[in-house]
Amino acid sequence: MKIRVWKALARSVLLDAVRRKDLWVVGILGFLIVLCAGALGFFGFAGLEVFAKDLAVSVLGGFSTIVAIMVSSRGMTDEIKNRTLYPLLARPISRFDLLFGKFLGAVAATWVSFLILAAMTGIALSIFNVHFELVTLQYLVLKMIGLTLVCAVGQTLSLVMTTSAAITTSLIVAFGSTLITRALGMGYSSASPEMQGLFKVLNAVLPQYGLFDIGSRVSYSGWGLVPLWVVGALFAYAAGYCAFMLILGWTKFNRQAI
Amino acid sequence: MKAALPLAFVGLGVTSYFVDAVQPQLKAVVAPVGLEAHETHAGASLLGQFRTNMSSWLWLRTDLYLHNGVEMRVLSASELKSGEKGVGTSDKEHWDAESKLVTIIPPKERDFRGIFGDIERASNAFADMKGHAHNGPEKALPLFRLMTWLDPQFIPGWTVGANLLGRADSDAAVSHLREGMAANPGNVEIMGDLGRLYAGSKKHDYEAALRYLEPIVRQKHDLTKMTEDQADALQDAFRWTAMCYRETGRREDQVNCARYGLMFFKDDGVLKRLSSVPSLLVNPKLRAVELAPNHLESKQESDPSHDH
Amino acid sequence: MCELTEIKISMEASAIAVHDLHVQYRTRKGNHVDAVQGLSFSVSSGEIVGFLGPNGAGKSSTLKALMGFVQPKSGSASVFGLACGSIESRRRIGYLPEVAMYYPYLTPLETLTLYGELQGLYGTPLKREATELLDLVGLGAATRKQNRTLSKGMLQRVGIAQALLGSPELLILDEVTSGLDPVGRKELRNLLKDRQRQGATLFFSSHELSEVDMLCDRILLIHNGKFIEERRLDALKTDLRHFALTYSGDLVLGELACASSVVAGRVQATFRDKDLLLQGVQRVQSSGGTILDIIAQEGSLEDYFVETIGRAA
Repeated sequence: MKIRVWKALARSVLLDAVRRKDLWVVGILGFLIVLCAGALGFFGFAGLEVFAKDLAVSVLGGFSTIVAIMVSSRGMTDEIKNRTLYPLLARPISRFDLLFGKFLGAVAATWVSFLILAAMTGIALSIFNVHFELVTLQYLVLKMIGLTLVCAVGQTLSLVMTTSAAITTSLIVAFGSTLITRALGMGYSSASPEMQGLFKVLNAVLPQYGLFDIGSRVSYSGWGLVPLWVVGALFAYAAGYCAFMLILGWTKFNRQAI
Repeated sequence: MKAALPLAFVGLGVTSYFVDAVQPQLKAVVAPVGLEAHETHAGASLLGQFRTNMSSWLWLRTDLYLHNGVEMRVLSASELKSGEKGVGTSDKEHWDAESKLVTIIPPKERDFRGIFGDIERASNAFADMKGHAHNGPEKALPLFRLMTWLDPQFIPGWTVGANLLGRADSDAAVSHLREGMAANPGNVEIMGDLGRLYAGSKKHDYEAALRYLEPIVRQKHDLTKMTEDQADALQDAFRWTAMCYRETGRREDQVNCARYGLMFFKDDGVLKRLSSVPSLLVNPKLRAVELAPNHLESKQESDPSHDH
Repeated sequence: MCELTEIKISMEASAIAVHDLHVQYRTRKGNHVDAVQGLSFSVSSGEIVGFLGPNGAGKSSTLKALMGFVQPKSGSASVFGLACGSIESRRRIGYLPEVAMYYPYLTPLETLTLYGELQGLYGTPLKREATELLDLVGLGAATRKQNRTLSKGMLQRVGIAQALLGSPELLILDEVTSGLDPVGRKELRNLLKDRQRQGATLFFSSHELSEVDMLCDRILLIHNGKFIEERRLDALKTDLRHFALTYSGDLVLGELACASSVVAGRVQATFRDKDLLLQGVQRVQSSGGTILDIIAQEGSLEDYFVETIGRAA
């Protein structure tokens, strides 16, 4: 019963996202950039395989993250603002069902656009004899898990702020978390014990989205596969963090007057 | 807040009083005479910006290519102060620069993040880079070709690219720089590097080197209008020119050139050595004046900010 | 006409029972606004009850509290004996929000399929019911157009169709005729009457007093979040109806008429009900007067509304 409810909600989000033109604009833009990179080989710049792969994973990673944020961050705020929430919550479903169903929809929409973009990228580059190693499969899987994490953060933020604020904050969190972690690492040794404690708390709280991007292993040759324990640990982390985010969002949403 | 509106109106009124008087002059000044298409046409300008941005991005990626994807960073001032050491390199020529570098992903002993750090080291392109070697420069060469194709005015693309090429194939490096010179005629950095390549340990073709170096040192020099890189290139050009004169037995030219260089770079030890040949009987003052344009001489001597 | 599934008539005494309901909102500045203050009423199964009040009276807030969208500050509200807002209570309600939008990029058919699945309906029966309902509300030709291309009236029809989905026992409709043209209103009236005949209870708010007049068994009047009056519509209509008698003769009616006046030698008298009128006619005739005219006048619900609200204010 619950699964049918979640499926119905997820399908509606997916349909809505697919029919919005902005999703396709992102896809087409990404495809064109990768195509341009590949086309450079056609103009005589041989030896650019690493560059093409590097650009491909950067485009894939960047655009799919933007899609994840756009789809998930407007999820709940738009429902409240556009009053589409009333007929939904008038049905015999719990508010958690609604949140979870919409979350699944955002994840599905993100995954679909990511896989389409990945397929287009693969085709574009294979035309120019750029080949990928087996680690690319791991990259795709880990990236999809990472995008799920972004969706959870985006949706939870959409419950506490406006759409534009949620999108901006999600972008900062997604693209800035790695930078912040690096900065904390640089300053850790010279920080006071209290600050070091704060750094550790920040590191534990911030979503470690950067860990899910193994693009450098895909672009540069000879790095081999990521150990399975790492994949397992990242999966467990993402599951835990998503659950935490969803519960946090539900706690807020469940008490909210609409 | 309430006072802001009347004040704004007063401001507008006062400004409008002057507008008629100023307008004709403004129009005369901003007439787009002699501007290239990319400076006047929005579309071309946008494309140009994309090209230069792309070129800069490629420039940043070259370091990654040389380290096979391992991201490096320079130690911060506080880290250097606290005695932290860089990873160094097996390449002695670049030891100084690389000894201040560390990997962006810290090694386990310097990482406070616990399991997150372990995961990142295992999942990312991370390696212990202590005394590391670099990938063959040929790996990064296509990038340099691409960045100079995108933005022919991007000088480091020509000079650093040639530097990397020159380690394996000095002819290819020379050819690369000649392309750069065609796109940037008279550029001090490119011509200086060309001269250095000819004069360097692989070619020892001093006459060919001087064909590129002499025009540089004979140009009018105003260090205040030069970038730091251009000033460095000029200083190198003086040194190499003087050395080429020495290697070809033109001792008088050597001393004169070095002394002329010292007028711009007073504390340069190499130029000082090259300028003081005891057995030489020359009239240094005369030659220096011959080499240097008169109107620059006095200005450079009185400007201590150009000491290098 | 679609084949509607038989509506299960519940055995509970009240479809809706509200007792001393208080609903409070907090503004962005942190102030509290009392939207509903101590409201009590009940709606029996099978009734059609109109919920009336001026703008800002607290109608939508009461309906939201019944749906569980807002948590009452105090008091109680139940639907078929179930706590309002509970999943079980919502299973038995069809709700039309005051201003509702539907996913702009979905079609009406997809919209109804979504709500149907959330209601617990699946597969072919759902698809058949959704299609039939869309036909019923006049959207048969627009089932595959995206919602964003539909007019306000058409969207309201989508809303009505989704409220009727699953043949709910109780229909709670907020501003049900909003955006509908006269033809649409008439169709809707017939539709709702059909539902009532099948056993459904209707509780709706509206500013369209003519609709209320034509649909309701009973009305509830609120103002400033407070209960004002509750009337059965037939009794109210009787109360509002009056008779005007014009005759020539002496002023003989006395206490029988509620008002009398003499204009151009003719006496005009007003009676509240038919019995008093007949007594009055007899008295005029027995006193030698001549009856010139008798007119039955239906009272205006609008006048009643304005007058009652005016009194309450």
